[in-house]
Amino acid sequence: MKRTIGGIPVFIVMIVILIGVLQLLNWIPSAVQEGAFGRFGSVEEVRAKLKISPLLMPVYYPRSIRWPPSLIAAQTRPYRGVVTEFLKSDGSETGLVITQTERNQPPLQERIRLSTLRERVTYPLKGRTAVLEVGACGSKETCSRISWDEGAFQMTLTMLASPVDLIAIAESMVTDAAGTGTP
Amino acid sequence: MHFAALFNSWPGMYLAQSFVHALVAALIVDTALVAWNIGDPRIRQRFRLIVIVLPLVTFPLFQLFDPARGSALFRLDAFFDMNRWLHLELWGAFPLGILFVLLLGFTGVLFIVQELLPILRHTTSTRHGALETTRPEPSSAVARALEGIPGTRPDVFLLNDRDVLMFSSTGRDPAIYLSPAVVRTLTVEELRAAIAHEIGHIRRSRRPVTILVFLIRVVLFLNPIILMEFRRFIQEEEKICDEVAVELTGNRAAMAGALKKFFAGGEAGDPPSEQGGVRIRDRIEEYGHTLLIEDRIERLEDTPAPEANSSVVFGFVLAAVLGICYYVV
Repeated sequence: MKRTIGGIPVFIVMIVILIGVLQLLNWIPSAVQEGAFGRFGSVEEVRAKLKISPLLMPVYYPRSIRWPPSLIAAQTRPYRGVVTEFLKSDGSETGLVITQTERNQPPLQERIRLSTLRERVTYPLKGRTAVLEVGACGSKETCSRISWDEGAFQMTLTMLASPVDLIAIAESMVTDAAGTGTP
Repeated sequence: MHFAALFNSWPGMYLAQSFVHALVAALIVDTALVAWNIGDPRIRQRFRLIVIVLPLVTFPLFQLFDPARGSALFRLDAFFDMNRWLHLELWGAFPLGILFVLLLGFTGVLFIVQELLPILRHTTSTRHGALETTRPEPSSAVARALEGIPGTRPDVFLLNDRDVLMFSSTGRDPAIYLSPAVVRTLTVEELRAAIAHEIGHIRRSRRPVTILVFLIRVVLFLNPIILMEFRRFIQEEEKICDEVAVELTGNRAAMAGALKKFFAGGEAGDPPSEQGGVRIRDRIEEYGHTLLIEDRIERLEDTPAPEANSSVVFGFVLAAVLGICYYVV
């Protein structure tokens, strides 16, 4: 027993060092190259630092969603992408995720995932053809997702709610003409 | 396919995370072996199993536990995100991910050339009739050595070969093969210990854990960390079979003596040094082999030290590996 206890401090110190080294290694890519995936304080900061344009954000938010976003993260390497997450109004969990990624590139992985698909339809969104999907995220929630192409980007909104609020949010992000304009 | 897409796909994430999880596990296990000064090869091998087995299951297991693991937010708060390095572009154009894929490819080729082909060759050569063999005389040193070994004994054959050679086949009809040079070189006690060592290999080759480890090695053949750890696992296996030989013969010194004579025989038979890649590679392999033999002899000659409670330590190490790897994506 004495031998077992004797090794614990050395082991703990080594584990702490290992975690430190891992975090250092995790930081190096962002230090040597700009545009690596990182957290930002505001949408304006993303626009200013990464020059991603257009960067679409909703004008309308339903009461069920808490503003400001709980996470804004973006990258320009290996491709341009922004993910914005919003908590539910009660703050219990993420309720809305908006991703904007370059077309023909994999979307940034979201916190909310549509795991079961019940219905998938095309939906006219102010002159664009959007795909609206309804299903479940995980085991319990009603979940909906809408996605469409916007210029060089693909937009995807996923929400733990029925599609009504989601469509309203999506419509508040775009102008009525197809193309790359901001609302 | 763009490289970013590859490493964002499930197979790509599995490859990347099984590599980095194996690396983290290997570091933690080595740390534990030093921290608790674990010398027993059976315990060491059990710890090495963590490095070989866990990377096969950690990624699907973690994703099952938390499907949001790997999401943008999770990656931002992780201890280490492999994609940051894989997407890092050298000179603004050349993603490091390409080097990673090349490393995996190189490991795959190494596995085929250094492990798979030799095993196939060995299997073919030890099939009935493929080797020129004779049975030892009833009054020979081999027969006398066998008499002193308890339990069931496999067939022993003498090889028609002038080199110092000894190995076993572990198939349906296991057998031990040794050259006359081995019989001439070793005393009866040493020969008994050497045969008992091979019996250890034959008995242990049927253990489900051993078969499982070989299967995992084949499944994760692209992973260089698993390749290295598997070799260390085999080195521990040699030490365990030394222990089996000591248990069967009750003669620690005889096993050490046999190893010393094998070691000396190898040196005496060395061809003169030549220039060129193949010779250098041979020398490096030989150097590694020599270190292992020296280590085994040293172990057999030392008095085994008392060990820490291995189950408790195993629990600590397993918890540390799982806890850290969960935050390594």
